[in-house]
Amino acid sequence: MSRKLGALALALGILAGAMELKSLVTAHGKTAVIMANGVSPVPKFPPPSN
Amino acid sequence: MCAGVCFVACSLMRSSFLRYFFLNLYVILSLFADLIRQAVLRFYSLDSPQYMYAYFYTDCLLTVTLFVAVISLASRVFAELNVSRYVRLVAVLLLIGTAGFTYAVVAQSTERLATRFALELSQNLYFVGLVLTYLLWGAVLKLQETRTRLVQMVLSLGLYFSAYAGSYALVNLAPNSEIVQYLGPILGCFLPVSWALTIMRYSEDSRLTPARLVAVPR
Repeated sequence: MSRKLGALALALGILAGAMELKSLVTAHGKTAVIMANGVSPVPKFPPPSN
Repeated sequence: MCAGVCFVACSLMRSSFLRYFFLNLYVILSLFADLIRQAVLRFYSLDSPQYMYAYFYTDCLLTVTLFVAVISLASRVFAELNVSRYVRLVAVLLLIGTAGFTYAVVAQSTERLATRFALELSQNLYFVGLVLTYLLWGAVLKLQETRTRLVQMVLSLGLYFSAYAGSYALVNLAPNSEIVQYLGPILGCFLPVSWALTIMRYSEDSRLTPARLVAVPR
């Protein structure tokens, strides 16, 4: 049981760290999107309307 | 594309295809995704919604596959500790958590919900993969992992994710620079090239000496 709780805590910690890192890195970004799967050119994505 | 074909071919020739199945699956899907994107690009323009849908949906699929590939490497690193079951549990929780978080963020947007979800999920999974790969780096050092192929594949994943995160910073520094549009394709080549080199140069029995891997003063 404690191991499962540990796994849950680890998953939450990783998720929180990743989202924190993303918000730090993209804090001053406009609408720049860089994807890196494959070598095809990246299309422009319109910003959200809200 | 050549590096991807080379990696899969070398894996098959060296009987490592099933051992690194999810890495091979990622590379194969990446090749197919590029073919689909190029086919769509032949008939539609770069700014067309058709290409945008084709690009972001295939990208989301590739990112989920890459996430599974990172988990498969983690399972191999932690195999001797008999915690593979918990590694899988963490992976499932992370995938569900990331999808839930992404939906919660995207649900506030009113248009193109599915495409926006695919894009955001892809980006969020990239950053989850980055953190996961750094943890895996730490585990490789701590456990003094000596399997050369495994170490090099984890290292190349770490470099790839780091370069991806760093490219955001570069875009923010110079948004109008021409190099920005080449970053994606350059980064996209990195993983197949590094994995192909690893498979070609080292056998499954190759080992690193622990002293070369990390020097811990005692």
